Amino acid sequence: MVRSIISMVCVSILLLVGAVVENHHIDKHFEEFHSVLEVLYEKVDAEVATQDDVYAVQQNWLKKKKTLHAFIPHNEIKEIDMWLAESATLVRDKEWQDAISKIEVLKELTEQIPNTFRLSIENIL
Amino acid sequence: MIVTFLRTAVIFLTLVIVMRLMGKRQIGEMQPFEFIVTLIIADLACIPMADVSIPLIYGISAILTLFILHQLFSLLEQSGSLVKRIISGKPSVVINKDGVDMLELKKNNLGIDDLIESMRSAGYFSLDDVSYAIFESNGKLSTLENPSRESQQKSVPLLIINDGKINSKNVSLIKSDDALVKDFIQKNGCVLKKTEVLTVDGNGRAYLKVKNQSYKILNFELSKGVKW
Repeated sequence: MVRSIISMVCVSILLLVGAVVENHHIDKHFEEFHSVLEVLYEKVDAEVATQDDVYAVQQNWLKKKKTLHAFIPHNEIKEIDMWLAESATLVRDKEWQDAISKIEVLKELTEQIPNTFRLSIENIL
Repeated sequence: MIVTFLRTAVIFLTLVIVMRLMGKRQIGEMQPFEFIVTLIIADLACIPMADVSIPLIYGISAILTLFILHQLFSLLEQSGSLVKRIISGKPSVVINKDGVDMLELKKNNLGIDDLIESMRSAGYFSLDDVSYAIFESNGKLSTLENPSRESQQKSVPLLIINDGKINSKNVSLIKSDDALVKDFIQKNGCVLKKTEVLTVDGNGRAYLKVKNQSYKILNFELSKGVKW
């Protein structure tokens, strides 16, 4: 009985710590990425962004996604990859309006993905 | 992870409730919550293992949640008889000194044919071979042999009436017909509707259980040439 209680408590602590680390990690990475996207958005809006700016954002995302793979479904990561790649092409071709809409989708994704990990009725049901 | 934990807990509790409501029929030598763990743990392990788009942590956290819930339910079971009754149910005495208890069988979503099947697995072919039969909370049948049991049974009894309904196929096996069965019932002072169980073997030995009465062992006149 004592062994059962100890194992139960240990696993509960493990899950609790895991949950805290996971939430913190996801929130931190997506907040950072969101602010990077915000800068890119402003540059694209002012029509001064270059392809290098988008590449810098891509590099930033590349570093983050290495650890995010452990926590979020890989399809969601792939989705961000694809929107970023499209944005890079549009910025290179100086199609600012289309690039802005792609970056807006990216910004929305960086807000929505962390929400799916929050404790809420919608997520549980 | 916390969302996975809560989702797993919700599904687990739903399954425990459903399993308890389903009765003992669905369980095989396990407590309901153990059965549920066995049922879902394989899928939880397989899905993240085979689908590379799902992080392993999803499966791991769900499996660990099941472990916690399993341990918690085991501890709760040990803590008191009331909690144990709620979680795992209680044993049901389905055969007592008066014979088959149909009400108890129905409470567990079991039929007389399920009882006969379980008894055959335990080595008893006639309903009066046992003084008591108990369906344990894990779905297993425990029996106390009737001291007056005939050790060498020559024919396997057939279920002729099951809860007021005649099984015509079995009636034809003993070369009889529904009218003769009804006649037999009436001769013994009861009506078909109130007859819970009637079994007859190849030698005409009949087990009759009427609602709210003790069972009777009677002789059913069989026509010549019955090879059952």
